[in-house]
Amino acid sequence: MLLPKFDFHEPLTLPEACQMMSEFGRKARPLAGGTDLMINMKKKIVSPEHLISLSRIDELKAAQCSGNMLKIGSCVTVAELTESELVRKNCSALCTGAKALGSPLIRNLATIGGNIASARPAADLPPSLMAYNAKVVLKKSSGERLVLLDDFFKGPGLTELQADELLTEIQIETPPPYSGCGYINMGIRKAQDCNIVNVASFISLDAPDGLIKTARIIMGCVGPKHLRACSAETFLIGKKASEELFAQAGEAAMKDCSPIDDFRGSAEYKRAMVGVLTKRTLAMAYEEVRSEN
Amino acid sequence: MKKLISLTVNGKSYQIATEPNQTLADLLRYELGLFGTKKGCEMGDCGSCTVIMDGKPVNSCLVLAMQANRRSITTIEGLESEKGLHPLQQAFAEKGAIQCGFCSSGMILSAKHLLDKNPKPNEAEIRSAISGNLCRCTGYQKIVEAVKGVRG
Repeated sequence: MLLPKFDFHEPLTLPEACQMMSEFGRKARPLAGGTDLMINMKKKIVSPEHLISLSRIDELKAAQCSGNMLKIGSCVTVAELTESELVRKNCSALCTGAKALGSPLIRNLATIGGNIASARPAADLPPSLMAYNAKVVLKKSSGERLVLLDDFFKGPGLTELQADELLTEIQIETPPPYSGCGYINMGIRKAQDCNIVNVASFISLDAPDGLIKTARIIMGCVGPKHLRACSAETFLIGKKASEELFAQAGEAAMKDCSPIDDFRGSAEYKRAMVGVLTKRTLAMAYEEVRSEN
Repeated sequence: MKKLISLTVNGKSYQIATEPNQTLADLLRYELGLFGTKKGCEMGDCGSCTVIMDGKPVNSCLVLAMQANRRSITTIEGLESEKGLHPLQQAFAEKGAIQCGFCSSGMILSAKHLLDKNPKPNEAEIRSAISGNLCRCTGYQKIVEAVKGVRG
């Protein structure tokens, strides 16, 4: 299967890469892991004239924690996320999502930045990242901006990224005490599968055995982009965590999603699964809160 | 326009002029004649094009030849030594883990990477390590048994 023709660029620094993006604009595509872009180019869905490979830019490949901020370079691979002690300790649900993505072969190539920027509504990393309230750094030659991941996605394949911008970093504030997060992806197979429904839930309590102070529930595959289960979140605030409460939140989340019928499942089935996965991920999050005490 | 890249394949250094739109899988097969690397789906689904790049198994159909510049590649041809077949290759042959043979190169390279990292994997770890490699003969049971036979 032939790839269309293009010019290949391999900048060694970020300013050089930004310069190229501003020079070529819409004619260029950044190339990270290539697990999405190469396929879309082979299928002739996209045929950029220039590919700007980011794989030699070392500063995009680091993950570090400074103060209460976890910063992950956009070219950190999904395999590296699964092995990172820093990620596992601070954002266990992101680690769960990374382990569920593709196959070992895909995880060795695919990057966190690519999984975000490709903006697939079924992607494995955005739900937990949004649950942790992650922000992304979008950089271009003339400056950079920090965008909440919630505001980044615009629709399937559509994002806030401008033609001359690169997604360079993911920033996550380390979760406060008495908080936890859970992620479940449901599909037919364990590997190399597109999710039918995926949900991540984050809760934070006001005291070790206290009331729910913050709740964020993100649902994938049930809308044009990852959706927040807003009414379920509001319902949880100020209440005491319990199995029954989580089941009720699941029922509220079912009204927050807008799935469609497709070959992966009926809208009705996906909606029902949103209820189940919301309940279960909330229970996982609560379990994490309790295990820390 | 072709550009010159240098890479190490199975311990041997090469300098090759390649087109930007040539994949690593095609470079290995058509420029170097290493036909052990198979091309199945060419979409990163089947794993038959698996090679080990800088110590990590990847789908070579999704890697551009130019991205392999200054990197080290191991293909199935690189496993055999003067002493004969690699223990995994031997085990695959003996246990009947090779049926049509199309997935074998990828299966063996994924399994080799697992055993290099974790010499005593359990069955779940073996199955997870080869989960990106599809066997169209569905001969997974014997493949898993072959890998089990080689673990320390």
